[in-house]
Amino acid sequence: MKRMSYAALAVVLAALPVRAAELTVATAGDQNMVDYINQYLGPMFEKTYPGNTVRAVGTGPGDAGSQKILERFDAQSAAKSEKWDVDVAVVHEKFVGPMVDKKYLDKYRNDIDTGKLVSRDNAKMALGTNVEGYVMPMFNSQTAIAYNPALVPTPPKSYTELAEWAKAHPKQFGYNGIKGGASGVSFVMGWIYAFGGGDANTLMNGPFKQDETTKWDGAFKSLADFTKNATLTPGNAGTLDLLSRGEIAMGPVWVDMFYSWQANGQLPPTMKLVLPAPGMPGQPMHYVIPEKAAQKDLAEKFIALATSPKVQAEGIVKKFNWYPGIDADNVKKELDDATWNKLFVDISPADLAAKGKPFPIAPYNNAILEAYEKSVK
Amino acid sequence: MSRRLLGLALIFPALAVIVFLFILPLIMSAVGAFQVESAFGWGNFVKTFDLYTKDIVFSVVIISLSTVLIGIASIAIGGYLTLGEHPVAVAILRWLYRWPMFIPFIVVGQILRTFLAKNGMMNNTFINLGLLTPIDAQSFLDWRGIVIAFVWKQTPFVTLLVAGAMASLNRETIDAARNLGASKLRVLIEIVVPQVAMTLTVGLILSFVTMMSVLSVPLMINAQSPTMLTADIAFRVNSYGDYGVANALGLVSLVLASSVAWIYLRASLKERA
Repeated sequence: MKRMSYAALAVVLAALPVRAAELTVATAGDQNMVDYINQYLGPMFEKTYPGNTVRAVGTGPGDAGSQKILERFDAQSAAKSEKWDVDVAVVHEKFVGPMVDKKYLDKYRNDIDTGKLVSRDNAKMALGTNVEGYVMPMFNSQTAIAYNPALVPTPPKSYTELAEWAKAHPKQFGYNGIKGGASGVSFVMGWIYAFGGGDANTLMNGPFKQDETTKWDGAFKSLADFTKNATLTPGNAGTLDLLSRGEIAMGPVWVDMFYSWQANGQLPPTMKLVLPAPGMPGQPMHYVIPEKAAQKDLAEKFIALATSPKVQAEGIVKKFNWYPGIDADNVKKELDDATWNKLFVDISPADLAAKGKPFPIAPYNNAILEAYEKSVK
Repeated sequence: MSRRLLGLALIFPALAVIVFLFILPLIMSAVGAFQVESAFGWGNFVKTFDLYTKDIVFSVVIISLSTVLIGIASIAIGGYLTLGEHPVAVAILRWLYRWPMFIPFIVVGQILRTFLAKNGMMNNTFINLGLLTPIDAQSFLDWRGIVIAFVWKQTPFVTLLVAGAMASLNRETIDAARNLGASKLRVLIEIVVPQVAMTLTVGLILSFVTMMSVLSVPLMINAQSPTMLTADIAFRVNSYGDYGVANALGLVSLVLASSVAWIYLRASLKERA
């Protein structure tokens, strides 16, 4: 009898929810995103809220990583799971809309203090879907044209000038098409903003109209000619590689990657950035919490910590050269001027405000990519 | 439990793995290729051929070319291992040729990306040796890079099979030909290769199918247009979340892969008849 009651006690103990919880954070993006959570945010969170642990799961770089998280949610929703196995997810802008539409997400932003510090429009609308309240931007990133001042003393100020320059200097402009990473995609979107016959604002804000997609023929024809005259690079890193080896003189890159490579010595310090008119797209990565997350409370605490001005300053701006996710003024206070100004050496805040565009809304985005596949061969 | 049941129970795990992880997904993706917004139709195939015909041709040409080059290289290496008379050279070659087999495709892609670039190691070596002027240097990071990667990675595998088959040949035929004055090259082409033709074909077909499925090499070396089918499949899924066209592309590559398997089956049936 005694043994039986011990066994029963053991079963009860095992079944009790353990107080020390494990928070699962799934993140899309390169290894640096996983490292950021494992080596920086995780330990800080574990110190702030003792007894809890953070487990980071990387789902892979680029859109593919976010797609995997979306599919994970799809599967758990289809299986009608009560508790999902992800507490916090970090996903690309493009995937937030579908997640909100499918009612996978928790509307948590008003529950946390740092929610009030968000100021940019891309936290309200994500490529045409209203996501207000469901997301907190982790950071904002931007694409721009990197160039080698030794070969290009006066960089082109606009897409028109850029196209002329590339024509005069065959194979000196390099980009990675649309299948090798988002910096190439972004360059193509900028091309359509500049030369597409329609209204770029409709592309960015909607609504989606089928006629609009017929206005790009001229732009794609010129892009096909332009591409014949350009060097195609293998991927986002490929463009920077070729630039650093002097094989190309100019190419579209992610601003944060550019600065990080420069800081590591992978790219000569002389290289510079320019944001040509009418502008190029950038995008935020968002923190989201699934509606059925097992540790909702803890998840909110985690995001509140990750979006606090101090962490945004130290982690996002100083460590990774990303533009902050929350309002810049709050972050600036936490940093010395030198670090802050480093972000804006080549691209001034005014340039960023005027020429930092969002990507087109999802249906236009897909239509442009498909039109590219059809015409640029 | 009867012996029969026990037998069934023993193969069940293996069978379940094959059914659930290979056959079921295959059927699902074949069905998915014909599904357009939950109705059945040819839409995905229309789009596939509209957008990717060039890539389909490109994939077939690249992989066929690689297969031919792998065949030639593996016969050359296997032939030297069998017929070579310099023991040290044979020993070194035997030790060296297998290495690429243990290197994953993605690493091959990474290595070649820095090796074949315009200012990469290969061109720099040529320039320093005075064989090339910097202005003439060109990047090999296009279809040529893919072919080089495939041949470099797959040759050892085929060589391993071919050299094994060559080693187990009856040496008397070779010696007889040599005694009658045939050159080594003639012995290789007329005596040795015909006898290992079946092994060579199997090796090349397995390589062909492997190359059909490699994603990392085209992604790292040339994910441009035209590119390999695998890069297009990945792009359909990752950028559009469009499994329909991705499935259709998968089915196209299945047809390509099974057409070479069919050649193999026919040949082996003929041999047995």
